[in-house]
Amino acid sequence: MNDASIYIAAAIAVATLCIYLAARRKPNPAGAETARNLISSLDIEAFRNLVDPEEESFLRSNLTADQFRTIKRERAWAALAYVRILFRIAPEFTHFGNALQSSSDPRLVDLGQQMVGSAVNLRLYALQASTRLLVAATFPRLAQRPPLFLFEQYTHTAGLLLRYGALDHARKQYS
Amino acid sequence: MMHGYRFLLYYLWIAPHILLALVAIVMRVKRLDISFPLFALYAWYEVAEFALLFAIAVTKLIQGMLYMRVFLVTLAVSTALRFGILQEIFNNVFREHGRADAIARVLLRWTTGILLVAAISCAILAPGPTSGSLIATTAWLGRGIAIVQCGLVLFLLVFSRLIGLSLQSYVFGIALGFGVLSSVELANWAMRGGDLTESTRKALDLLTTGGYHIAVLLWLAYLIVPAKRVLQHADGPPASVEQWNSELERFLR
Repeated sequence: MNDASIYIAAAIAVATLCIYLAARRKPNPAGAETARNLISSLDIEAFRNLVDPEEESFLRSNLTADQFRTIKRERAWAALAYVRILFRIAPEFTHFGNALQSSSDPRLVDLGQQMVGSAVNLRLYALQASTRLLVAATFPRLAQRPPLFLFEQYTHTAGLLLRYGALDHARKQYS
Repeated sequence: MMHGYRFLLYYLWIAPHILLALVAIVMRVKRLDISFPLFALYAWYEVAEFALLFAIAVTKLIQGMLYMRVFLVTLAVSTALRFGILQEIFNNVFREHGRADAIARVLLRWTTGILLVAAISCAILAPGPTSGSLIATTAWLGRGIAIVQCGLVLFLLVFSRLIGLSLQSYVFGIALGFGVLSSVELANWAMRGGDLTESTRKALDLLTTGGYHIAVLLWLAYLIVPAKRVLQHADGPPASVEQWNSELERFLR
């Protein structure tokens, strides 16, 4: 019976997790507002500086080894906070992209598809960057590659949102 | 008491299959059987399987061992179809997301491999069938299969959530139904592996049919209930988009 209890516990855990995921799917009316606040709190330039390899080599040559390790760790943790914001913004782009796909305008449908794809990539890159930054915080002596792909993806996704703004503006003008 | 049990058992045996036929019809009407042909096939197959087994049970033409063999053969096909459906869900969810699709495929292979190793380890480490009966051997196998299916459903739900991909309502419903179904089967086969009293066996019959009923209700509900969230924004995007734009323009300057 002991063996069976383990399997039953596992089955209950799986069922509970399924129910939890289903419950968490309920629409969050504050989603768009939360995303806007997150975007407002994001200083991309400061983020870029935190992971700039030139700045890192400058610090490496001007600080003692101990000081550099401490500073590198702090910079990695700070950069990680920015990555977390991008990680949280991405699903908001996905929801918006999904909403656009229900539109009757084929241009908006196309834009919606692009936005969802781009947001998924943004989330993946944010995950990848988080791993790298965690490694950098744990092993500060290791050379760090800047997460340029993350900035590029964010700019691309944001560009799609701007394109939506332009389309929407044009639609309002001609209607 | 006995009468009530028989009524409940028959209800839980018949009702889900009627509802499953309805699921298949709704899928046809909504043309979802084009995207999910295996799931549609599974629904019709389960209805046909039920009709066959029910006819055998009611007419009492063939009973005992032969009934069990028919049940096991149909169960094997049903299990194979479920694996196919999980693959079908994966294909539908990740197909259009190039990078995510590639990562999902690699992770899926690894997850399946790990789950297979786990299922085989459990089968080796745990004591084998307590008796050489067909049911005990099936329970031993079924437990391993349920472990793999539970793991795959969880992987699908968790991974899609991790990458921020919101599954379409009915896709999520199908996956959720299989999550419930495979977890109930895991508990069922784990219990059936041992020696059971008559009352435990009856309780397990209700558990499996009840779990199946819940899964079918979930499939039907997620197929019928419209995805409110998407419709809400379809023609009137959030007003805050303009505010988003101004924030984004600030970054891109």
